[in-house]
Amino acid sequence: MKISKTHFIFLVFVCFFVSCASVSKKQTSFYDIEIQKFSSEIKLLLNDLDFLKSEVLKVNAKRPSIQRILLEADDYWRKGNLNQTNSVLERGLRIAKDESALYLRLAHLRIEQGLDKEASAFASRGLFNKDASAWELLLLKIYSEEN
Amino acid sequence: MRFSLKIFIYLALLILLVICTAYVSILDSKVTNKLDGALWTVPAKVYARPLELAEGGRIHLDILKKELDILSYEKTKESPELPGEYSFTGNSISIYVRGFEKQKPSLFSLKFKEGKIESIKRKDGILIDLIQLEPLSIGGMYPIHLQDRILLNFSQVPEDLKEMILVVEDRDFFDHRGISLKSIARAFIKNTKSMGIQEGGSTITQQLAKSLFFSPEQTIRRKIKEALAAILIEIHYSKEEILLAYINDVFIAQSGKRAIHGFGLASQFFFGTTLKNLEIDQKALLVGMLKGPSLYSPVKNPKKAKERRNLVLTLLRNDFLLTQEEYVKFINKPIKAISPTYKSLSKYPSFNDLVTMDLKKNFKDRDLRTKGLKIITNLDPVIQNLLEDSVKETVLVLQKKYGDKLQDLEGAAIVIDSFSGEIKAVVGSTDPKTYGFNRSINALRPIGSLIKPFIYLSALQQFGKYNLSSLLDDSKLSVPLSGGQLWEPNNFDKKFHGMIPLHVALSESYNVATTRLGLDLGYSSVQKTFTELGIEKEISEYPSVFLGAFEMTPIEVIQAYQTIASGGFYSPLKAIRKVNSSDNKLFFSYPSKPEQRFRSEPIFLLKFILKQTFLRGTARGFPLKVIERWNTGGKTGTSDDQRDSWFVGYAGDYLMLVWLGFDDNRKSLLTGRSGALQVWKKFMSTLDPQASEVRKPSRIKYEWVDHGDGLLSGEKCKGSLLIPFISGTEPTFLPDNRKKCRINEESYASKVVKKIKEAVQERQ
Repeated sequence: MKISKTHFIFLVFVCFFVSCASVSKKQTSFYDIEIQKFSSEIKLLLNDLDFLKSEVLKVNAKRPSIQRILLEADDYWRKGNLNQTNSVLERGLRIAKDESALYLRLAHLRIEQGLDKEASAFASRGLFNKDASAWELLLLKIYSEEN
Repeated sequence: MRFSLKIFIYLALLILLVICTAYVSILDSKVTNKLDGALWTVPAKVYARPLELAEGGRIHLDILKKELDILSYEKTKESPELPGEYSFTGNSISIYVRGFEKQKPSLFSLKFKEGKIESIKRKDGILIDLIQLEPLSIGGMYPIHLQDRILLNFSQVPEDLKEMILVVEDRDFFDHRGISLKSIARAFIKNTKSMGIQEGGSTITQQLAKSLFFSPEQTIRRKIKEALAAILIEIHYSKEEILLAYINDVFIAQSGKRAIHGFGLASQFFFGTTLKNLEIDQKALLVGMLKGPSLYSPVKNPKKAKERRNLVLTLLRNDFLLTQEEYVKFINKPIKAISPTYKSLSKYPSFNDLVTMDLKKNFKDRDLRTKGLKIITNLDPVIQNLLEDSVKETVLVLQKKYGDKLQDLEGAAIVIDSFSGEIKAVVGSTDPKTYGFNRSINALRPIGSLIKPFIYLSALQQFGKYNLSSLLDDSKLSVPLSGGQLWEPNNFDKKFHGMIPLHVALSESYNVATTRLGLDLGYSSVQKTFTELGIEKEISEYPSVFLGAFEMTPIEVIQAYQTIASGGFYSPLKAIRKVNSSDNKLFFSYPSKPEQRFRSEPIFLLKFILKQTFLRGTARGFPLKVIERWNTGGKTGTSDDQRDSWFVGYAGDYLMLVWLGFDDNRKSLLTGRSGALQVWKKFMSTLDPQASEVRKPSRIKYEWVDHGDGLLSGEKCKGSLLIPFISGTEPTFLPDNRKKCRINEESYASKVVKKIKEAVQERQ
């Protein structure tokens, strides 16, 4: 069987896409390595709570039901009603215990409430989530180091 | 003489006038005080948690059906048409929810697949992601007079209800000034003709005055007072205000000692929903009951209630408030009221004790009895009922097995959410429906071997010194006591086991090895762990404390285990979730307060051993599949002479503790395994909780070690076990005779796959 020019070009493309896929995998493993090594950078980030909050609020839930709850909580948060924000977020936690977006928000909320130990506890608990993305893990790690 | 008589008459008239004026002004002050709301008390109501149903959420269809039964939903053959009805076909269920907070009453169809909600659809077919069932009402904080009501404002009262009340009770309401001579004359003629009391001439204002201030006795004096109060009410208030006060205050039913007042509560009481959600026939039924709440009760006398309701419907048709078609439709409807389970005063006395304890920390008694607060608790009624049944039924089985010796056996059990510390269910007695000694919070008992994990946790925190395969000495031990005596602990099997790995010593609950470990660690080190676990008591410095000669109540024990089950996060236990004001705004919250008290690694190692309790230790006997699905772990406990039988174990998100024993502290014949574990097993087997997958701590690695000597071994070696270590603390010595079996023979295919993977990694 002869390999035509078209077949050859097709193979080159396939190889290109496979290598692209492997490159993205490598980026994931970058975050998976011991995050403690970034402690100095983490401490810098911690000083900028506004930046952290903006990043936390960008984290979405995996389930639509929890996403709806996040929107409601964020709305109360914008209005400065911290108790109600907490109540809504904890409601979300009762529905799904594996949503990093909830742990991140609860951690930041506790920092705003001046409850650093609780902030750290929520973040540390969030680190157990099997499905947390690398970015979520990094953010959770930052809050867990806060204590 | 004539002059003095005249003066006397004038004086007498003056005194009478003064008395009358004083009486009227007192009455007037009473009227305004009461109607301005100062004296209207609305007691706090206590609710269970509302059940959340989310797309993708895990819930067994059976559990949902149990919840609907508890909430008195009625199963229908056809698609549900009214709030409070449900039907199911195959793996789908249609529920017409009654509504709670932001959840409006509406019909939803839920499809289930593999124990999860696959989809939730609205009536119009639109997919939605989350619905909420209204919570079960589980009691209230009632005032001394035991009147209960839900206050409504004018906009919350449907127009047709107002019209119905006026048609039936007082047609001339907007024309009279408190008393209606026309009504009195009509009633007089009718009563004279029948030679008895057939009809009352009281207006709505008079009825309100009677209900607010006077006893139900029928005397001329009381009638005059009532008329006077009615006139005063009319002077001070508008017609709308009077009608609303009547709607909120009228007596409609009696439930035990609790008096149900007002249409707002009556609607919840008889139909489980708000007034706005009621159909015409249901409203007509309530209006009809005003004449005789007991006589026309749909629960006690459904036949009479139907006749009375139909009479109200006839009056409405005659006044053109109903069309003929509507009239025919409604009079043919059956009488449906929810079963009495929904309205008991306090269904769960033991849980109620916890709620009251928590409330007293933050609220004044008067506020609880007057402000109409809504207390939303963490109680899960399905779990609560299941827990009560598990305790009762297991105790009966044990009594059958052991005979008279277990005649007065008592028990306590608690179920909580491991991470949040929310209390889901509590049983304080083998007769859970009665008030009395609540053993879950008051029984102070020696905890036996339940103390051992606390000691091993102290050891595992010193990970430079102890790991799971560290060898502990379980040979004969003599400890000199202060009086010159020797104390010699023994194992339950009366044998000594020599040098044994740490994980075996705990999973087999060996006493001698544990005592040596405790003495080696020191009392202060163990006390520190106790404190971190949330135990507020000081331990006494005598060696038997390491074997559980230490008294705790069930609720204290489960708090300590909560920290272990959750992975090292201490969360104070809480019965209440939040308190809403009467207008449903968040009034007081009980937020979670987690605190990481232990690093995740030593807790991970401890939980590995607690799982061994199920795999090969004192709780063995569960199928491996079940142990994995529940991701379970636990510990049995038996105090000296088998006076107390304990078991504490977690499965999925739940942590449950059980205690069985006698109040007079006599021997029970039960061990933790033969008694308390059986209650736990019955409960969890029915609930069948599924554990979600979690990430293991990054510093944990697994290694094959020998079950006997704790040294390195291999998968193919006899007596080997794969156990976790904190990286860097694993054993390093591999005995010669295990070198061969440590190397695993790989298949040719797996070797090729491994080579390819390595090559790909190198290229990256």
